[in-house]
Amino acid sequence: MSAAWLTRRVLLTILTAWLVATIVFMALHMVPGDPAELLLSTSGAMPDPAAVAELRERLGLDQSIMTQYGRFLAGLVRGDLGNSLVDDYPVLQEIALRLPRTLELIIAGTLIAVIFGIPAGVYAAIHRGGIFDRAASWVTALLLAVPVFVVGTLLVLLFAQTLRLMPAGGFTPFAQDPAQHLKLLALPAVAIAKGLAAVLFRMTRAATLDALAHDYVRTARAKGLSPGRVLAVHVLRNAMNPVVTVLGLQMGTLLGGTVLVEYVFNWPGLSTPLLRAVEGRDYPMVVGIVLTISVLFLLINLVVELVHAAIDPRVQS
Amino acid sequence: MSISRRSLLGAGLVSPLLAAPILVSPMLGRAARAQASAGIIRYGLSAFPPNLQPWVSTGASAGTVKMLLHRSLVSYGPDGNLRGELAESWAHEADGAWVFKLRKGCVFQNGEPVTADDVKWSIEQIAGEKSTAYMRTQFQQIERIEIPDPATVKLYTKEPQATLPSWFGNYNTFIIWRKSQANEPIGAGPFRLVGQERGSSIEVAPFDKFYKPGMPKVKGIKFIVYADENLRNAALMSGDVDMIEYVPWQSMAAVEADQRLKLDTQEGPFMDVLFNGTKPPFNDPRVRRAIAHAIRREDIVKVAFFGRGKPLEGVPIVEGTPWYDDKLAHGWNYDPARAKALLAEAGFANGFQSTLLATAQFGMHKDTAEVVQQHLAEVGIQCELQLPDWSTRVSRGTRGQYDMAIHGVSADNNDPDGLSVVLDTSLSPTHGRSFKVDAPRTIAALAKGRAEFDQAKRVAIYKEMQAAALEEVPLVGLAWRQQGYGMAKNVSGFVNLPGALSNSSGNMLEQTFFA
Repeated sequence: MSAAWLTRRVLLTILTAWLVATIVFMALHMVPGDPAELLLSTSGAMPDPAAVAELRERLGLDQSIMTQYGRFLAGLVRGDLGNSLVDDYPVLQEIALRLPRTLELIIAGTLIAVIFGIPAGVYAAIHRGGIFDRAASWVTALLLAVPVFVVGTLLVLLFAQTLRLMPAGGFTPFAQDPAQHLKLLALPAVAIAKGLAAVLFRMTRAATLDALAHDYVRTARAKGLSPGRVLAVHVLRNAMNPVVTVLGLQMGTLLGGTVLVEYVFNWPGLSTPLLRAVEGRDYPMVVGIVLTISVLFLLINLVVELVHAAIDPRVQS
Repeated sequence: MSISRRSLLGAGLVSPLLAAPILVSPMLGRAARAQASAGIIRYGLSAFPPNLQPWVSTGASAGTVKMLLHRSLVSYGPDGNLRGELAESWAHEADGAWVFKLRKGCVFQNGEPVTADDVKWSIEQIAGEKSTAYMRTQFQQIERIEIPDPATVKLYTKEPQATLPSWFGNYNTFIIWRKSQANEPIGAGPFRLVGQERGSSIEVAPFDKFYKPGMPKVKGIKFIVYADENLRNAALMSGDVDMIEYVPWQSMAAVEADQRLKLDTQEGPFMDVLFNGTKPPFNDPRVRRAIAHAIRREDIVKVAFFGRGKPLEGVPIVEGTPWYDDKLAHGWNYDPARAKALLAEAGFANGFQSTLLATAQFGMHKDTAEVVQQHLAEVGIQCELQLPDWSTRVSRGTRGQYDMAIHGVSADNNDPDGLSVVLDTSLSPTHGRSFKVDAPRTIAALAKGRAEFDQAKRVAIYKEMQAAALEEVPLVGLAWRQQGYGMAKNVSGFVNLPGALSNSSGNMLEQTFFA
């Protein structure tokens, strides 16, 4: 891996991040909706235009788009994403508060998906055509087809409203009450896991079936290795490569895909302020959050590419 | 048919289907209801307050919290009438001044006494040139403030203002300690802010020197934010919270049927049609009146509000108030034949094409728009529905970029003067008022009522105003919608304030307790 190649990749990542920020910034300023007017119109209030104008001036919204963009870029270079137009709270602090919660949700969901999806995929492949295989294929099709908000709503109805086993949603910091924190994490994590588990199941099943058909597996069996050893050493080791790649990419996608789950379960991750900021045209907040998600996504991609490059030198060329 | 969260929950059919055996880990098997509340009310709030600035309007949910932290000169009592708070009495004097006598022994939460200087300073901040306060326009009507003694404030207005005391009943008009830091307003409310989890929850605890003996009655309130209405309701039904605001209409029957819960509703907010008076044919009152007669309101109540509301066929005057007149209240009754005749008279016997602006972001706006569209088509008015997001809807409304628009709103209070905000089209344009529609007689009657202090005369003036509005049609009333609080049966003392004051009911939390 040459230094020049690495530098090029890093520069490309920075360039892409800048492009994302610029496009989001410009697009937001072009759509109708005035943050000052919206804030003062909350709950149907009808504000005095003079008050709106005053607030616009106070927030610097009366300046030209290019001036605002210049100010945004200057802040970005200093590592400052600006303050929310709604409550003057620093965007960076909001992200620092919320991002770990979103990541926690994604990691918990991924863990559940891995624990259920991969073993089930292997089992279904080994017993191809059996009852489990057919039933699991049907269930995963269902899991993929039913929208996450329906699953989320059903989970709330069942566990919170009907059985009253779990809280309906919300958030308690781990440090404050670990048990309650985990209870609140459980349902949204399951909702996130459902699609990922289905994808992992299908991927694992296909990859395992593929590996099982190879000559080296037959040879291993012919050598008299135990079925468990054949599976662990010869089948799974080869079958897991594509599964791990898909898992990595899916985790990146989940970063932007938890919006509905966080909303349905009232999990105060990054999605809530993003949604609220888009609705309220809170420009710095939207740009800051989108930029963060994009950079993380780009970083994941970069890491994947680096790993690929390390494994396969052809990638560098 | 499309499946949505709303239809799914509305049907209420899914829960029985779910009674299948489910594997639950031992840790999760324990009842997950939050611990017994120990004298602390857990309140399901619909939105995290954007901020808690005392004079800037940032929504009704923020208002609920602000009403606990701060106090004004007056507030609304359980019967919807003004009652004294920091002021123990008020009167209109012969020289034209409104005089407020301050209550003795009121202190701010830092222990400083509430004085007439604090009242004067607060009014000046609200009315200031650089102010972004909700009541800025009204307070700029105050010409002069006099303080004859530390417990008396005299307000002189540029024009006579019969409803001035009600300005102080608004939840964006609090009296703040005059030496407060800009970002740390110190109020005199019954609760103090003791903690908040940004975006999730807010906790308040009683202020021990609050001026009303024995209040507040609970050990604290924890506001937990549930932006999703169905989740908020699920939290109530599962016992996670003791009470919620804005019970979704589709869930009201379930709350009523639950023996552990009770529902308190009021018909205060309403839906209406707004017009752009600069776009023909909506500059013609006959066309606007035709539209008023073309819509069968029962359908809106049924479709948009699950039957939880009632038709509004006149100017939105709350039934049971002195200003209400049954005949005037049905002045825009459903009469498609009359609608067609009015259209013909205006030169549109074959109807016309138009657009109807609403928003897809709020189900009640979209559903109402769809029913209106259907009924207008029946009298020959073909409307294209425009359903952008709320932000765009607000922007286009203020700029007059529409033909007709659907809106939902609540008056400032139950006095007809509180309707000026929706009826007075001479005020600067906003998204919630018709755009440049001529309604001179309505506006003149509103002004006359505002300047009249004799109650009997005011009643007559506002009936005159209603009659004028029925002809000039600055808006078309569609439906009252219920606004409901759901709570556990043991939550007592809370009252959903009548009519337009429902949003001010947070004030009642000081007298709420666990039975």
